[in-house]
Amino acid sequence: MHEMSLMGDILQLVHEDAAAKGIGRIEKVEIIVGEISNAMPDALRMAFAIFREQNPDLFSEAAELVIHLEEAKAECVLCGRQYKPDQKIALCPSCQIPSGKVITGETFQVLSYEGSNRQ
Amino acid sequence: MKVTLRTDVLTNNNKAADFNRELFQNSKTLVINLMSSPGAGKTTLLEETVRELSGNYRIAVIEGDLATERDADRIRAMGAKAVQINTHGGCHLDARMVAAALAEFDLDEIDLLFIENVGNLVCPSGYDLGQHHKVAVLSVPEGNDKIPKYPQMFMRTELVLLNKIDLLPYLDFNVGEAKKDLTEINPQSMLIPVSARTQEGLYEWFAWIEGAYLKCVQQ
Ligand SMILES: Nc1nc2c(ncn2[C@@H]2O[C@H](COP(=O)(O)OP(=O)(O)OP(=O)(O)O)[C@@H](O)[C@H]2O)c(=O)[nH]1
Ligand SMILES: [Mg+2]
Ligand SMILES: [Zn+2]
Repeated sequence: MHEMSLMGDILQLVHEDAAAKGIGRIEKVEIIVGEISNAMPDALRMAFAIFREQNPDLFSEAAELVIHLEEAKAECVLCGRQYKPDQKIALCPSCQIPSGKVITGETFQVLSYEGSNRQ
Repeated sequence: MKVTLRTDVLTNNNKAADFNRELFQNSKTLVINLMSSPGAGKTTLLEETVRELSGNYRIAVIEGDLATERDADRIRAMGAKAVQINTHGGCHLDARMVAAALAEFDLDEIDLLFIENVGNLVCPSGYDLGQHHKVAVLSVPEGNDKIPKYPQMFMRTELVLLNKIDLLPYLDFNVGEAKKDLTEINPQSMLIPVSARTQEGLYEWFAWIEGAYLKCVQQ
């Protein structure tokens, strides 16, 4: 997996925005990670810790990463049943045919960040 | 101070993908992103594709690998233009790398562009490169469990080339089961059984490409 590079993308978005708004060191970053988004929360936490340690000028020492997990959900277009998609993502458990569409769980977003105002 | 962004993590990749997409549309170049685990036969399939279609189409290939020019050299030996991207440890191609490689082509002179992604059944699926179609290659020796084990790849591709069917007599791979598993993940996806070795089934892949090309130029 490539969580280091994903965290690089996340922090680039945060730092660009912070620089434009004149915000100094980052104290908190909140992200939304969908269950089937291809990103692994634990690896993201580890990547965040590494970036924080390597860039003490950009992060406060206690800077934290908050991950909001988005549950995966699919809905059958025939019977309307919502279910948790496992391996057989499209298979509706009621109709037993592949009539389901993923409705949540693919999100991978930077939700917000907090930083100190630059003096 | 708290700032709400609600921005997709891959925003920058998606911008580069949109940039590529516009170039492809303007030049009427059909672009296919080929993905598979290492060794499924992407390069061999592309060699056969170049051999068959280069009489009627101007073909180019972008090769993504961790290291070496080997795959690009194999394509060049077939007489098509090829640019190698080395990701140096990166497990997938991103749209920026493709945008940089495009500078080496005159897209107006290219009808079909194939992008061979880094051999990996997980990471490449999440990255839009600006392509028209995502195609997965699965090979018989990998076993039936790969489709259900990697649903995030197969939910995002619209065609699976099941390669190395010349080996079916020696292995316990079940083609019917693979089709069923695929339908349960992605009912829109097609599956074409092929062998790049014996050429079996390849005509169906070539016909699929020609159909996609017609659609692309008519847009
Ligand atoms: N028996 C058989 N072997 C095949 C077939 N297609 C490819 N091969 C062999 O499989 C091996 C790997 O093929 P490649 O085309 O290099 O695979 P690839 O997907 O490009 O591999 P990477 O670029 O390393 O991910 C080679 O030894 C090919 O000769 C096939 O249809 N049948
Ligand atoms: Mg190859
Ligand atoms: Zn149903």
